Parts: sequence; structure tokens; C-alpha cells
Amino acid sequence: MRENSLLKNIYKNKFIYLSLVPTFAFLLTFNYFPAINALYHSLFEWDGIGYEKFIGINNFINLFKDPVFIIALKNVSILAIAGVIISITFPLLAAELTFNLRNLRMQYLYRTMFVVPMVVPGVVILLLWGFIYRADGLLNKILITMDLSNLARPWLGDFKTALYAIIFIGFPWIGSFNYLIYLAGLQSINRELFESSIIDGATRLQQIFYIDIPMLLGQIKLILILTIIGVMQGYTIQIVLTQGGPGYSTMVPGMYMYNSAFQYYKMGYGCAIGTFLFGVILFLTIISRKYIQAPTEFGGAK
Amino acid sequence: MNKAYIGEFFKHFSIIILILLTLYPFFFLIISSLKSHEEFTHNFLGFPAHIRWVNYTAAWKAVSRYIYNSLIMSSLTVVMVVFLSSYVGYIFARYKFPGRDFLFYAIISLLMIPGALTLIPQFIIVKNLGLLNTRWACILPWTSGGQIFAIFVIHSFMSSLPEELFEAARVDGAGIFQIYARIAVPLSYPTLVTIAIMHFVGTWNDIIWPLVTITKPELRPVTVGIMAFNSAYYQNYGPLFAGYILASIPLVILFIFTMRFYIQGLLSGAIKM
Repeated sequence: MRENSLLKNIYKNKFIYLSLVPTFAFLLTFNYFPAINALYHSLFEWDGIGYEKFIGINNFINLFKDPVFIIALKNVSILAIAGVIISITFPLLAAELTFNLRNLRMQYLYRTMFVVPMVVPGVVILLLWGFIYRADGLLNKILITMDLSNLARPWLGDFKTALYAIIFIGFPWIGSFNYLIYLAGLQSINRELFESSIIDGATRLQQIFYIDIPMLLGQIKLILILTIIGVMQGYTIQIVLTQGGPGYSTMVPGMYMYNSAFQYYKMGYGCAIGTFLFGVILFLTIISRKYIQAPTEFGGAK
Repeated sequence: MNKAYIGEFFKHFSIIILILLTLYPFFFLIISSLKSHEEFTHNFLGFPAHIRWVNYTAAWKAVSRYIYNSLIMSSLTVVMVVFLSSYVGYIFARYKFPGRDFLFYAIISLLMIPGALTLIPQFIIVKNLGLLNTRWACILPWTSGGQIFAIFVIHSFMSSLPEELFEAARVDGAGIFQIYARIAVPLSYPTLVTIAIMHFVGTWNDIIWPLVTITKPELRPVTVGIMAFNSAYYQNYGPLFAGYILASIPLVILFIFTMRFYIQGLLSGAIKM
């Protein structure tokens, strides 16, 4: 009887199920299947065309014996630490400075100026920085005019500087998105908190450390997670500017996955790197959700 | 009073320094795009003495094709994402049916899957479907992946709408699709526009996926095209920089019309997790 009513209920809603079909057809083809397929093929030697052989966890064992992958891990750790430090300092500083201005019209003007880079496509920004770093580029020309020509070099072509040059891209790192999230957070802090702290004799600097930052923990946590996830799996900068070189000095796991799959046709090995990245990102997300408690999660206007 | 004045001056001063540093590369790009090769070498940092618009005509010849491709690919993706996700988000938000929660969480759980995991099998699928070197190679996977976050956002927005509106329409005998088109969509217009902008910009900026799926020069989108252009014009600075600027113009236009809206969306927390 009950089963019958469930079937009836499903039949009654047939039009609803029917309208979900396109979405699930898309997701099954381009999302669920590839995700499961990647986990599956991480246990195989696979060329992507026809040949595949089950090798258990050998891909993962080889990965940690692979000197290139170890370098890539070291590089991505440096980039992630730098990225985290940058993303919770400079955009927050800019947001604090703008938020604390008395002149609201200037506040609006400055906000617009900080957001301008958002309209420029990422690849153009990267290519522009590629030019800044060239042997005959902007940075070296400026160094030469300042009589520091002994420092001049092709910054991305030098083993010693390439990774740091990548970190330095976008200086002074006021990312529009991060900046706006912090600004939104500051604007949503209850005014009464500031007023009562002034009565208690707090200076603005004390307010920043005892009110602003604790109240912004939600935003800081969000940006922290997004930055770590972005850096861990990212390799757009490498694709556009360095290909992981010179040598392996800017190699990261994502770039190595790309090369394994599309240069050497080691698709199974590539899937193992993808699986590894998935595991790391999942782990970091769970850890940060558990250990950084915060009142709101995203751009909270609450 | 005097002390407050100094503090205020210090804030303005620091902000202006930060803004100058942030925007200087773009300023340099614009003035350099108008210089001849000789002037670029001899008058590296200054304003151009003679403005060379020719740089732009030369760059346009190379870049226009890529802009056209990107416009088609991004627009189609946006239309499909907005339509699918608004309709599905509406159904999950406003109707009860067996398996609803399970199906909804099945979609949302895909937010945890990073692009790095799916890249290789996705490429194989697109290849097996015979889509390599067609615009669909980008449009279909972009649409599929784009829906996920969009459904999530639209669902939470549409769940927050008052039930009376929908109830009244139902009493008047409106069907599922009519209620969607006449009530749900008009009410969630701001959310839908924000979703549209996000996906237009996101697909416009994607490099890695078109790089692996589209190798035919005439089908390249802007990101991949401008990289090829960059190698071809490596020492030809004027047209090179003019090309960078031309590649940015569609996004600049989009933001001129919608930036205010987008910033308001982020500032007021239109997108919450």
C-alpha cells in the first residue's frame, strides 16, 4: 500500500522530474562521471586511448619518489603560505584605510579605483606582469634609471628569482574580490560596538584588534579557504608565463598533472596527481571549517 | 583636532600610494600601446609624442577573431546556465517531491570537487563525443559545471521568497512553468544578473580548458588567442599592448553597465554560503 502511494506521488510529480533531466544529464556526463573516472584511473597505468593496466597504489608510491613532484610540492607550499599571508593583510589594510575615512565621497572614489583591475581579464594582467619582468621590461628599466642596473635580470627566467617573481605578481595585492569582502564585513559591524568602546576610552588601533578583526573572522576564514584551494590546484600563471620553468623552479602539482597528461600521455599518473590534490583540498577545507569558528560564512551582511 | 587632521591626511596618503601602485601597470599599458617602436625604446616611461592609432588597427586584425569566438562561447554558456539553474533552483526551492533533498545535496556536493580532479577524464569524454575543436567543447562543460554554484545561490534566494505569492498564483490556476516565468524570475532578477556576470567573466577568463580542447587557431577564445598573439608580437610592443587592451574591452563594457550592481551584490552579501 505505502509503496503504491510513493509511486503515485512520483507519478504525480512526473513533470518535475522531467524538468530536472537536462541538469542531471549534464552533471552525469561532465561532472559525476569524470570525478569517479579520475579516482578510478588513479589506480591504473593509462594512456587515455586504449591501453590501461591496474597497478594499485603504485602511481601514488611513484609520485612520492618522483623528484619533480617533490619540488612541485615544495613550490606550491611556498606559494600557498605567501598567498595566505598576502590575502589576509594587504586587502584588509586597504579596506580598513578606506572604511575609516571621514569623507564619504572620497571613500566611494577610492573604492571604485581599487576595483578597476577587476575589469581586466586575468590573462592580460599575467601577460602584463610577464612584460614587467622581461629582460627589457618595466622593472629592469626602472632599476636602470635608479642606477641599480646590477640587480637587473630576466626575473622569470632566473632560477633564483622565478618563484618569488610569481609571488610578487599583482603587487600591492589589493585583490578586488578580497577587498570588497573585507569592506562589506567592516560595514556590517554594529556601530554601537564602536561607540561603547569609545566611551571605554579605546583608541582606533585597539578597536581594530579587539573589534574589527574578531568581527571579521568569518570573512578572513572565507578568504583563507578560497586562497588555499585556489593556490593548491592553480597553475594558470605557469601555463601563461613559465611552463613550470626555468628547470622546475616554478613547477607546481597542477602544472605537473597537466604535463603528465597532455605532454607525456601518462593519464593515469595525471589522475593520481588530481586525486592527491582533491584529498589535500578536502582535508584543508575540513580542518579550517573545524578549527576556525566564525559567526558568518560568506560576505555576511548579518 | 590637529591630530585628527594628521591622521586623516595619513590615511588618504597611504590609500593614494596603494592605488597608484595598483593602477600604474595599466596606465603604462595604455600609454605604451599608443607609441611607435622607436618611441617606446627612447621614451620608455613618458607620454607618447605622436599617438599611433595604427597599433590598434594592426592588433584588431589579429585579435578580433578571438573576441568574436569568446563572445559566442561565453554568451551561450551564460544563457544556458542562467536558464537551467534558475529553473532547477526554483523547483528545488518551491516544490516538495520524493527524493528532493537527496537530489539537491547530490548537486551541491559537487562543489567539493576541484577542477584539477576532473580535468583529464573530462577531456577524454569531450574527445570521445567528437567535440574537440568545436565551440561546444567549452560551452557544454562550462554550462554543466557553472550550474552547480548557480543552483545553490538561486535556491537559497528563492527559498526566502514568501509562499503567499506562489500560493496565490497556484489558486489562480497557473502551472509550474507559468509561475516560474511570471513570478520566480522577475523577483530574482538581481540574483540572476549577478550569476550571469560571474559566469560571463569566469568563462571569458578560462585558459586551461580551451587550451586543451581547442587547437584550431580560428576557433580560439581570447585567453588562448592572446597568448598566441603574445608570442607572435613579442618584440612589436605597440600592437602587442594594443592587443592586450582590445582583449579587455568587452569585459570593461560589461562592467561599466553592471559594476555598481555587482559591487552592491558583494557588499550586501547577495551571495552567501
